[in-house]
Amino acid sequence: MADSDGEYQADDGSDAEFGAHQVSSSHDTRGRSRKDGGKGGRKPAKAAWEDIQRSWDAVVEGADGTLTGAIEGLAEAEKRTRLMRDTTPLQRGIIRHLVLVLDMSFYMLEKDLLPSRHELTMAYACEFVREFFEQNPISQLAIVGMRDGIAVRISDMGGNPAEHLERLQGWVKQDPEGNPSLQNALEMCRGALFHTPSHGTREVLIIYGAMMSSDPGDIHETIVSLITDKIRVSIVGLGAQVAICAELCKKTNGGDESAYNIAQHENNFRDLMLAVTTPPVTRTKEQSNASLLMMGFPSRVLTTGNTINFCTCHNRPTREGYNCTRCGSHVCRLPAECPGCGLTLILSTHLARSYHHLFPLRNWVEVPWSQAHSSEACYACLTPFPKRDNNKKGKDKTKDHTKPKEKAKGLSESSRYACEVCRNHFCIDCDLFAHEVLHNCPGCQSDARGMSTGEEAAHTNGNTDGAMEVDS
Amino acid sequence: MNAIDGSSHVEVNATGQTPSLLTIVIDTNPRGWAALKDTLPFSKAIANILVFINAHLAFGNDNQVAVLAAHSNKAVWLYPKSPHSDREPNGSTDGDVEMKDVDDDKDRGNANKYPQFSAIESSILSSLQSLIKSTLPSTLPPTTLIAGALSQSLSHIHKTSLSFAPPKASTDPAAPSTAVTLTPSQPTLHARILIVSVSDSEPSQYIPTMNAVFAASHARIPIDTLSLSQHCSPTFLQQAAVITGGVFLSAALNPRGLLTYLMFGLLADAEARNSVTLPTQDSVDFRAACFCHRKVVDTGFVCSICLSIFCEVPQGAECLTCGTKLALGSYGANPAVVPRKKKKRKKALNGVMDRDASGSAAGTPVPG
Amino acid sequence: MSVNANSSQLSEYLERLPGTTFRRLYQQPSTAFAIFRRMLPHLAKTIVMAMLYMPTPFLLSDLEIWVKPTAKRQKDQALSILRALHIIAVTVPCRETPQSMTLTANFKSSLRFALEGGGDHNSFGVPSQLPIAADVDIAFLDKYARKKWDDILHFVVNSVGLIDSRSDGSNGPKASVKDLLMAGRLVERKGASSTMNITQAGFTFLLQEANSQVWTLLLLWLEAADHANKEGHHTGMESVDMLSFLFLLASLELGRAYSTDALTEPRRNMIPYLVDFGLIYIPHHDRRQYFPTRLATTLTSSESSLRSVSAGFTAASEGMGGAQDSNAIILETNFRMYGYTSSPLQIAVLALFCDLKMRFQELVSGKLTRQSVRRAVDMGITADQIISYLATHAHEQMHRVAASAKKSLLPTVIVDQIRLWQLDTERMATTNGFLFKEFDDYKEYISVVTFADEIGVLQWRNDRKGMFFITYAGLSQVKDFVKNKNKEKKAGK
Repeated sequence: MADSDGEYQADDGSDAEFGAHQVSSSHDTRGRSRKDGGKGGRKPAKAAWEDIQRSWDAVVEGADGTLTGAIEGLAEAEKRTRLMRDTTPLQRGIIRHLVLVLDMSFYMLEKDLLPSRHELTMAYACEFVREFFEQNPISQLAIVGMRDGIAVRISDMGGNPAEHLERLQGWVKQDPEGNPSLQNALEMCRGALFHTPSHGTREVLIIYGAMMSSDPGDIHETIVSLITDKIRVSIVGLGAQVAICAELCKKTNGGDESAYNIAQHENNFRDLMLAVTTPPVTRTKEQSNASLLMMGFPSRVLTTGNTINFCTCHNRPTREGYNCTRCGSHVCRLPAECPGCGLTLILSTHLARSYHHLFPLRNWVEVPWSQAHSSEACYACLTPFPKRDNNKKGKDKTKDHTKPKEKAKGLSESSRYACEVCRNHFCIDCDLFAHEVLHNCPGCQSDARGMSTGEEAAHTNGNTDGAMEVDS
Repeated sequence: MNAIDGSSHVEVNATGQTPSLLTIVIDTNPRGWAALKDTLPFSKAIANILVFINAHLAFGNDNQVAVLAAHSNKAVWLYPKSPHSDREPNGSTDGDVEMKDVDDDKDRGNANKYPQFSAIESSILSSLQSLIKSTLPSTLPPTTLIAGALSQSLSHIHKTSLSFAPPKASTDPAAPSTAVTLTPSQPTLHARILIVSVSDSEPSQYIPTMNAVFAASHARIPIDTLSLSQHCSPTFLQQAAVITGGVFLSAALNPRGLLTYLMFGLLADAEARNSVTLPTQDSVDFRAACFCHRKVVDTGFVCSICLSIFCEVPQGAECLTCGTKLALGSYGANPAVVPRKKKKRKKALNGVMDRDASGSAAGTPVPG
Repeated sequence: MSVNANSSQLSEYLERLPGTTFRRLYQQPSTAFAIFRRMLPHLAKTIVMAMLYMPTPFLLSDLEIWVKPTAKRQKDQALSILRALHIIAVTVPCRETPQSMTLTANFKSSLRFALEGGGDHNSFGVPSQLPIAADVDIAFLDKYARKKWDDILHFVVNSVGLIDSRSDGSNGPKASVKDLLMAGRLVERKGASSTMNITQAGFTFLLQEANSQVWTLLLLWLEAADHANKEGHHTGMESVDMLSFLFLLASLELGRAYSTDALTEPRRNMIPYLVDFGLIYIPHHDRRQYFPTRLATTLTSSESSLRSVSAGFTAASEGMGGAQDSNAIILETNFRMYGYTSSPLQIAVLALFCDLKMRFQELVSGKLTRQSVRRAVDMGITADQIISYLATHAHEQMHRVAASAKKSLLPTVIVDQIRLWQLDTERMATTNGFLFKEFDDYKEYISVVTFADEIGVLQWRNDRKGMFFITYAGLSQVKDFVKNKNKEKKAGK
């Protein structure tokens, strides 16, 4: 099972129904595609194929001869690594302008990513659009496709996810064809980003499956003009690394190579794409672009009685909506630019949605057994923690292999993770949830004693005390 | 009679109700309840809420319930009981033990009550009692820790839904659990949160509350609110209801009818909400308050770096929160309004700067 | 009594009861509670709860506004069920006052009692204060119930003749249970020979999930008691009281001892029967205690929690050495079937409609073929029964995959094919019901037929001929509707 080329065969579906098989085959994929695809240019000194990972070596049999413990450990380690990122509060570009460029050349017909590169890309693109607006409610997006040697405009610059999704749906059924042209696509992006105000970021995300680009002119000239226009390009490659892509990313990102990544497998592809939804760190040179924006904060109104309003944005009849605070035009959904006077209309909650990028929640620390006795269950979800005694039994045997390995991954030996401010202990799932979705520490928020000491609580949670108030 | 052709597939679906998890956050702010003393005493309200909980559980065996108290100085679990409460220094442990004994006896002897109901009821009542015991009259900030209670309940819901989720989440290390919560293809658990509120929204909790609300809307968990107090209007919760698609009801006019409000307006779960019209709010206040004078504005200026809101262009066009020099946006801004009223601003500025010093120190360092 | 393929036998039984019976049933809070929980669709529950603490009658026009227009069908169905179970009473339409509905008094007060507690009805069981024997724990009760029930199933399966009579010591269920099975025509004696033969109803019984099987048997028991009473035998048992006792059992807690002293005389008489079914365990040393088993406590559970019932059973049977039913069938789109079981009973049932190829320690694998399904159909098993059996016993993995991929539980191609195979032999399905025809005018016909369609009882219609056909269950409501209509018409003239 482990060494069969499961992915390339037409699967009769029986494999997919066994969870156990999925575990082994996904490990497998990672190992293999690393061989094919290279590792994204992180370590150019060593060729990617020299670094073979045997997934079966990483699995250590537990004391009782089963793999359950090892598999659970791996799962937990995986979760934890996603968390161990830098939480220094950085200035980020909250108002973004991004063009998503999708490869629609015949290279996308390859089936090395299931069900096919094209279908997967389309599915992830939809997810990307949703997530992007979730994370960046006051940003704008456009979508461009590369097909038949030209760039195709899929959707225009706009802030409404529904419109982008609608347009994307129309392209899902169309089979990809022809060669891609990187230069044409970039030029179109340049055009789309040309008018955007300077206080926002200008970004391009390219999903690139091809190994070549059929360009009408010199792409290096295009790269130079991208740099002048302060457009950053990041690329997610699907096959192997391509030199021009690496150069493009490096040059437009001020020498930083991390913007070019190769997807190793389906999940890695998804992670790479969704990573772009986090607002980018602002670089010093762009600092001067900060500006003060005038915005309207309209309240929601319902039309009274039997009257119905027509919204000025779509000319559709609506019963509820928002009135522009300056000219009084009726708009059906926010955020929007007032069609009448051009004022940016947003909800104050949209601003609030972005605050967690500016004030991230600090990472929690592992709890050694020596301190673990103070808690029996996760503070937030009340899941009981393992007791120490259980561990002791298999101590001599398991500790030898597993402990150093786990330590390296930042895994807590007692399965507890502690917030350094409120000193409460949490389980791995809540740790992940609090940092990825919630952006609050349930412990700090639930105890006013911590808050009354003031400063400490405020700054570790990154919540400027009373930074914003909404009155009635 | 009815021939089978390609068009009429008979789908065999897994039938059965999707379990529903109701999390109730009871605002136990003593001040709020003291104000309601004449119309709706706390004990009566709790009795009504217990009936409501039983009604929810009666819908099916799979239905679950969780109850939290958002107190003035902490947010605690009432049910399921947290093991942490035992090590609270305030709660005398022997008192707790006594309580339990009494409950057990009552529990055992009662043939007039469904066993599950009485178990939950006794747990809630005993936790509430110890909570009230531990409340000292001297330390009573007027706030309620709604954000903390929401954070805890969301973590709990998240954990519970993980156990209902498809197997991929738990067994496959390549697909971490958040992948499931990010794209809930079909919910295997209907969760919702009900807040029984008696106090005002506390401005200092705006960001944590909103973080929790967005996490809820992300996981498609509606946050319902029943506001009982006549003088307070929980604006954040009102916004929360709009953002998460929940129900906001104000029972301020007739708090005595609490049970009817609960049973009629707030019992419908996700399944029933597809077929029942929900009470709506006619207008929701989404205006913002500026950071400089705390004036409520409907048109304001926003710093593009830290998103602070100002009612007018700050002095020297410098952001008061992050200190960035701001260029005036080209659109809409009236270039003539560079302000001069120095005196008044200084005063306000100081207030703001003090507060923001803590935020910006760790908040937004200027990258080098 | 005929046993229906679907699991709604209980509702059919209940709907046939007269209103006075309901009034007596609802006197007991646990009954009202159990009926609320088990018998009502979701929207109906919501409506009942909304009305429970409402001081005034609920106007139908208000209900119309409250329920979204898209859910009109569900609303009408909910109302018709609520009326059939005598939970709500709707006022007769007249000109002055608008039509409104109220909860019936008994139901209302009982349900309130159930939710609030209080009263002295003791309808949630009086726990025994006596010391409990240490060996009676949940695992023990599960094992006990499993064995009792398997004995009954084996008795039915043995009559198929596919497997030899069992080698181990137990000699099947008690004679009373056997009589019941025969009275219900689940098995019948063929000719002069004493061998039992399974009937079609018996197959239906076998292929049901455990919970429906229990109800089937209990309803047979109720009917038998009714029948006996009618013929003048004094059994000391009355079906209404029996029914409320069953609902009481359903609300008890597993693993706890209850006192028999607190029971009334007729109820104490019922206990031996329930012990025979495996619903109740009575320790030998102390006859004043009884323990409900999982079969009893899950009587009013919803379906998904029943999956956990069999999980509990599995855990119990592990102790018995050799896993039993673990609800584990995986069906693939290529017609292969894998059943995770080593119980001869399960294998025998699978062998009824499936070509078993291989047998391993805890797994049998086989294939659904045209031949095997035809054979089953010839025996009197219907395609619907096979499909519902596969669906109820689907492996957890199939449930999860179906839920996450938003697909149907069983592969559609298989479901269709099984039906097609059945259609090869029989091309007709029969439904008992009533034909309505010869309406005065087309308009009247249309209004009645639309009503029948809305409450979901319409089977067939022919607009040109102006006639339609409804199911048996819907007769009373359509009749009422027509009557009201006539009345209105007369009043209009």
